[in-house]
Amino acid sequence: MRDVLDALVRWTSAGRRVATATVISIERSAPRDPGAVLAVSEGGEVVGSVTGGCVEPAVFEEACEVLSGGAARLRTYGIADEEAFEVGLPCGGTVHIFVNALDPSVPERLARAVAEERPVARVVPVSGPSAGAERLVFADESPDDEAGRIAQELLAAGETALVDVDDEQLFVDSFAPRPSMYVFGAVDHAAAVAAIGRFLGYRVTVCDARSKFVTAERFPAVDELVVEWPDRFLQRAPVDERTAICVLTHDHKFDVPLLKVALATDAGYIGAMGSRRTTEERAERLRADGVGDDELARIHAPIGLRIGARTPQEVAVSIAAELIETLRERMDSRAGTAVAR
Amino acid sequence: MNVLVEAGRLAAEGTPFALVTVVDVERPASARRGDHAIVTPEGALSGWVGGACTESTVVREALAALTDGEARVVRVEGGCASEGTIELLVEPQLPAPLLAVIGDSPAARTLAELAGTLGWRVEARHAEHADAVVVASMGRGDEDALEAALAGDAGYIGLVASAKRGSAVLAELRARGLDEEALAHVRCPAGLDLGPSSQEEIAVAILAELVAWRHRGPRSATALVEEVASAEAVDPVCGMTVAIAGATEKAVRDGTTYYFCGPGCRSRFERDPAAYVEAPL
Repeated sequence: MRDVLDALVRWTSAGRRVATATVISIERSAPRDPGAVLAVSEGGEVVGSVTGGCVEPAVFEEACEVLSGGAARLRTYGIADEEAFEVGLPCGGTVHIFVNALDPSVPERLARAVAEERPVARVVPVSGPSAGAERLVFADESPDDEAGRIAQELLAAGETALVDVDDEQLFVDSFAPRPSMYVFGAVDHAAAVAAIGRFLGYRVTVCDARSKFVTAERFPAVDELVVEWPDRFLQRAPVDERTAICVLTHDHKFDVPLLKVALATDAGYIGAMGSRRTTEERAERLRADGVGDDELARIHAPIGLRIGARTPQEVAVSIAAELIETLRERMDSRAGTAVAR
Repeated sequence: MNVLVEAGRLAAEGTPFALVTVVDVERPASARRGDHAIVTPEGALSGWVGGACTESTVVREALAALTDGEARVVRVEGGCASEGTIELLVEPQLPAPLLAVIGDSPAARTLAELAGTLGWRVEARHAEHADAVVVASMGRGDEDALEAALAGDAGYIGLVASAKRGSAVLAELRARGLDEEALAHVRCPAGLDLGPSSQEEIAVAILAELVAWRHRGPRSATALVEEVASAEAVDPVCGMTVAIAGATEKAVRDGTTYYFCGPGCRSRFERDPAAYVEAPL
């Protein structure tokens, strides 16, 4: 919904009624992830999409019916085989789409929370007596019902999912603030890693103790530039399981104390740059400081997937690929705890 | 003609070439430090870095540099009677790889955006000389786009699709008469398997695979460069390896073409071919 939020605020503040079609779950592969929204105003204007254009005409019709007073509805689109090709997806996937009348107060409150980076979840009952009666649940509130508490759990993990609560199904779309990426070492590689970090949706901080290297000219595309000893900065920086820590200092003076602080956090990804020899020496020093092998195994070093990267930009791609793989594995290993209740 | 101006022109139009610079000379020599020459993938040399004897070595090393992508320092010792020793830096100037991204989809747009930041050239349509082609048309003409890509000389061809959709596309291409060898060339799904889901993550997975592909074999050399540059012959007189491309010193005898490092070897050969052709080596 994030990509259509501006249009929704414009429409609802002008007093126009709106119907939204939301992807609430997908099977196999589909062009858009759960949470994607196509919205139709009472004037017949359309924003957003729920697939790559394959089922939009049918979804538009459903939204128009809801706008003319029809009930909220759940629709499924997909194809079992080529012969059944009617309204479906060529990619072979199936999408479940929920169409309801948008609560006019939602867009503005949601937009404000997103702008303030205040965690919020859009919670839409898609079955049961209150189907279609959506609400917003904030992380900093204390909901007095089971549904609200479950939504908060998912929000804390930054997850968007369809869950069963008592006799109804709830679609919970988390609008968590961007995850953080901390890049240490103001080297050329850092600028490239920062750029790809932003591309992947991270809030990127570049930190180095040397003020001459930490300049906006060298790092035009970061959210925050910090001149401070890396380990001291990381001690006070907020870190959660979505956080990525990229240690590009490759100087034992900085990265040994820094990695010790990093290992004491829940960071989802910790990578450290350096040749194989640097990596071994660093591991020795960390061991000498009492860091166990289990902890050392959390550090991806030398940083990045082995794809033969040479330029800083290529190294940044190898780091981004490793980061995606690592966080995905973590999420997969937790799958079933929060969602499949 | 100013060699550096010509180098700039070739670089701007994306034509590969090798830039040769004289870094040191021991007299007597006709070249001076800082002299430049350009060698094209066809083996044509322009500029001056020494006489004919130096030239054949320079052309051979330039073509080798264009093939493996590595710069090298070359020392030519007394190639001709009139020449001392010359040291040259031979640098391949290869254009950024050209990636063709086919399809009007979020995946295609995201990939094109990210590839641009890597310094690759990107075209949002089928390009005949693309080094890599990624088809992300999401079911609209995937088969046609892949068939066109397979007919070209791209070193990497990938399809953005689910495994199921991908095998349906390959089956259709098989039905169109494409053989297994061609189909094995298609990476499907495109990209390293990172278990990605968002468009941005898929783009990163594909780019990571493209970087790995680019640095695997002979790097980033176009098929043209590889083909032309790999042709070499041995001068039958002095035993030196010379590049066939662009060779000016050659002689034909009994239907066989012989190549020489310079006019001296050629005239000795022409005076008494039998002495060299039937040499027991």
